Order: sequence, then C-alpha cells, then structure tokens
Amino acid sequence: MAILSVQRLSKSFGNNQVIDDISFDVPEGSVFGFIGANGAGKTTTMKMILGLLPPDAGEIFVCGEKVAFGATKTNRHIGYLPDVPQFYGYMRPAEYLRLCGEIVGLNAAECDQRSKELLQMVGLADVSKKISGFSRGMKQRLGMAQALLNEPRLLICDEPTSALDPLGRKEILDILKQITGKTTVIFSTHILSDVERICDRMAVLSGGKIALSGTLADLRAQHQTNAILIEFATAADQERFAAAAGNLMQNATTTDTELTLQVAEVASAQRELLHILSSKDILPLKFEVLEPTIEGLYLEVTQ
Amino acid sequence: MRAFVAFTKKEFTESVRSYRLFVLAVVFLLLGIMSPLVAKLMPDLISGTDLGGVTITLPEPTAMDSWAQFFGNVGQMGMLALVITFSGIMATELSRGTLVNLLTKGMKRHTVILSKFLTASLIWTVSYLLCMAVCFAYTEYYWPAATLHEPFLAFFAPWLFGMLMIVLLILGGILFGNLYGSLLTCLTTVIALSLINIASVAHKYNPISLASGTLNLLNGHMKAADFIPAAIICAVAVVILLVTAIAAFNKKQV
Repeated sequence: MAILSVQRLSKSFGNNQVIDDISFDVPEGSVFGFIGANGAGKTTTMKMILGLLPPDAGEIFVCGEKVAFGATKTNRHIGYLPDVPQFYGYMRPAEYLRLCGEIVGLNAAECDQRSKELLQMVGLADVSKKISGFSRGMKQRLGMAQALLNEPRLLICDEPTSALDPLGRKEILDILKQITGKTTVIFSTHILSDVERICDRMAVLSGGKIALSGTLADLRAQHQTNAILIEFATAADQERFAAAAGNLMQNATTTDTELTLQVAEVASAQRELLHILSSKDILPLKFEVLEPTIEGLYLEVTQ
Repeated sequence: MRAFVAFTKKEFTESVRSYRLFVLAVVFLLLGIMSPLVAKLMPDLISGTDLGGVTITLPEPTAMDSWAQFFGNVGQMGMLALVITFSGIMATELSRGTLVNLLTKGMKRHTVILSKFLTASLIWTVSYLLCMAVCFAYTEYYWPAATLHEPFLAFFAPWLFGMLMIVLLILGGILFGNLYGSLLTCLTTVIALSLINIASVAHKYNPISLASGTLNLLNGHMKAADFIPAAIICAVAVVILLVTAIAAFNKKQV
C-alpha cells in the first residue's frame, strides 16, 4: 500500500509555477529519494504534504487519509525534519524532547525512555549543554531525534545532509540506514551519492514536473548503456590494443589512456576484449562494465 | 489540553531563561518604589534647585501625588517596558521557524496563541500587582489612611490597557512575522488612539483614557461612568483581536 500518494498536485507563488501537476506514490517500507536542484520545489512539496502550505490543485493522501491545510490530523503518522531545524536555544536536548513528547501525548515514562534511546542513537546522549551552543550537525541530529519521537510510519527529511561536513553527513545517513525497514523515509536532496547509498526509489523533480521516477534497480536497467571502459597504464598500450581490437572499435571513444566501447552484447564483448588483452599481454589498470549512474540519469532528464 | 499545558510550561521556561519575567518584575518593582518616593521628595528637589531668586512654594505632597506618579509611570514607562519585553513573543517564533517542529507534531494552532496570551497576561498581571502593592505600601506609610474613590476601576483600567497591548503584539507578530511588525502594530494603535483623543468627546470611549487617566477617578474628580464605556470597548477589543489573531494564524503559512 502507498503510505503517501500525491495526486495531480500544483502550486504556484505569484506567476512562478513551482509544482505543475505532479503525481507519485511512495510504497510503505521504501526509502524514497526526492531529487531536484535548489529551488526545484522539493521543500514546497514537502510542506504541502505536512499541511503547512495550501496546494493550488490536487490531493495528497498519507496512510489513506487526505491532508488538509492547517489541520494536522495526518501529521500523527509523520515525523518531519526541516532543512534547517530550529530549536529553543535556551533548552537542553532532553528538555526539548520532553516538550515534543508531551505535545504528541506520550506519558512521562514513555517519553523519558524514547528520548534516551533516540539521544543514544543520534549520539547526543552525553550532551547536556544548551541547544544554542550546538553545531549545525548536532542540530540536525537532534532534529532527527525529535522527528522520530512519536515512532512515525513516515519520516520526511528535507535535505538532511546538504549543509553538513562529510562526517556529519555520514552520521545522518547512518541514522537513516538504522531506521529503514521500520519507517518509510522520504528524503529530499541534491547530493546524488547520498541517494545511491541509501535509497531504493527515487523521483527527480525538474521544471515543476516529475522528470523520472521508479526504483533504482528499474531505472538502472531501463537506462542500461552496454558500455565497457578500459583504462590502460600507458598511451602506447592503448594504441596497441586499438590496433588489435578491429571492428570492436567502431563505437569507441578514447581519451589519453581510457577507452570506452559501446557494444551490442556485453558478455560476449567482455570475453573478446579480455582475450585480446591477454594475447597482446596488455595489463589494464581498470576493466569496468559501465552501469548507468544516478548522476547520468539526473543530467539526462534535467537537461 | 496536554499540548496546551506543555506549551505553556515552555512559555514560562522561556520567560524565565530569557530574563523577560525578571526584567519586567524589576521594572515594575522600581516604578512601585519610585512613585511615592518622587512624590515625597518633589518639594525638596525643587527647593534645592537654584532658580535665580524665584521661589516656588509647593503644597505639601499628598497620597494623590504619589498615585499621580504611579499612573504616570505605569501608563508610560510601564507600558513601554511591557511592549518591549513581549515584542518577540510571537514574532520571534515565526521569524526563526521554531514552531514548525511542534506544529507538525499535531499541536493545534490556537493552542499556541492562547498559551502565549495566557502566559503574557499572567506575567503582566503579577508585575502590575507587584508595582501596585509596593506603591500602596509606601504611600500608606508616608500618608496614612488616604481616601481612594473607585479604587477597583481606577487600578483595573491600566491593567486592561496592558492586555490590549499584549494582544496587539501577538496579532502584529502573526500578521508581519517579525519584531518590527509587532512593535509597529502597537505604536500605530497608540498613536491613532491618541489622535482620536484630541476630540474631548472621545475621552469617555477611548481605551487610551484607561492607560493613565484614572487618577481623576481615584481622587474623585471624575465618576466611574466616565470610564466604563472605554473599559467595555477595550475589553471587547481584546476579545475580538484575540479571535482575529487565531483566525489569522490558522491561515498563516509557517
């Protein structure tokens, strides 16, 4: 069942049509990467899912219930981590989680228990200083803890890693990895390597439309290119190889020491190429069957 | 209800830790101490000044001089302190985006408004009562057993005007989303009411008469009936503005 269903959603600000009639479903249990350039409308879409912005047209369903602007009934299923989560600087992390816990209706014992577990998970268990002294990465991790406090079925993260250093990014991705399976995650980003690391589905938002969507495996299969890359130690090696390869070189592109071959059938071409390499006694630095990358797909649909 | 209690607790914590409660209490405590003291010392202060041979004889100060200082101070400095300390109560939350986490957890929007209104009102009430009690004690000490006419209405009036300021700060914060919006809403209202007050026929109905005009009630120069219409209009305005604030916040994109 789709935990989130967006149907024919549109939104414009003045003359600027940010979201133009988009539809997509997010099945339960998936990790959904929502990709788009800065200003593509990712945050706008998320805010509409949370009922913080009214859509111009279209409907959104969370766990089968319709989202209404301003009314927050569907939000009980959702945990939300804003792109830059803001807290009360005069509070300490445990105090903040207690406030959140009381608002979602946890009793004191449950709330303490959950807070403890979550602070442990996000690595803030021993931090007792006030939130005003937190680094951006710490705030992001506390944001993750508050989003997960009510054990939501759907976690929506708005660019959780975009402003963080490599270590901070890794920490957030590790946390997300820990909760997948229990919680469906929607995660907007423009960092494509993050999508490859943790997502199993993605949609690309471009020009207000969904330019591409599906599971990563399907998308890769659909955009399979049948290309093989060989990297040689020297340019001379490459020339010797090219001379021997004959008509395999028909669809080849070369740089100094690299050769990319477009082939009709990957397996037989591999055999043939390896045979040539061994018979000519050329030892390549790299021999790779090229998979379509998310970056390649993204550039293809957004350009 | 649980969310209301939780958020109100947060509001009080915020008032304590941001020194809002402390500052307001100290300001009003000082105003309470100062008013009778200035009234008492005024003749000495003036006679101590060299006016180039001109002698001014002032009548012996009375309890009414002390209360005149009280209403003057509370109506001007007190209101200013109230408006400044609470100017960020709504605006800061909106401009910083701190409500997003809580609203997406299912907290009702009217909870925010009512809780903030309650907290601010309580702090204002306590500060005002503190000021009044201190002033009363000193005044009673210097000028015992003074007669006060219509004390309830006379002291209730500035409090009610303070409530109007609080609700205007909240509404201004929602409408403009920043500190200046809150302050300007209050300032514009006070200026508009002051302009209306140029017409003496408006005095009876104008809430601004409540801010510092009720000394005339206390000393018996004016009657309760001269202030009751303004008090009713002010109270109705507070309720209407509060409802408007809730409606505006329900439509607000946070």
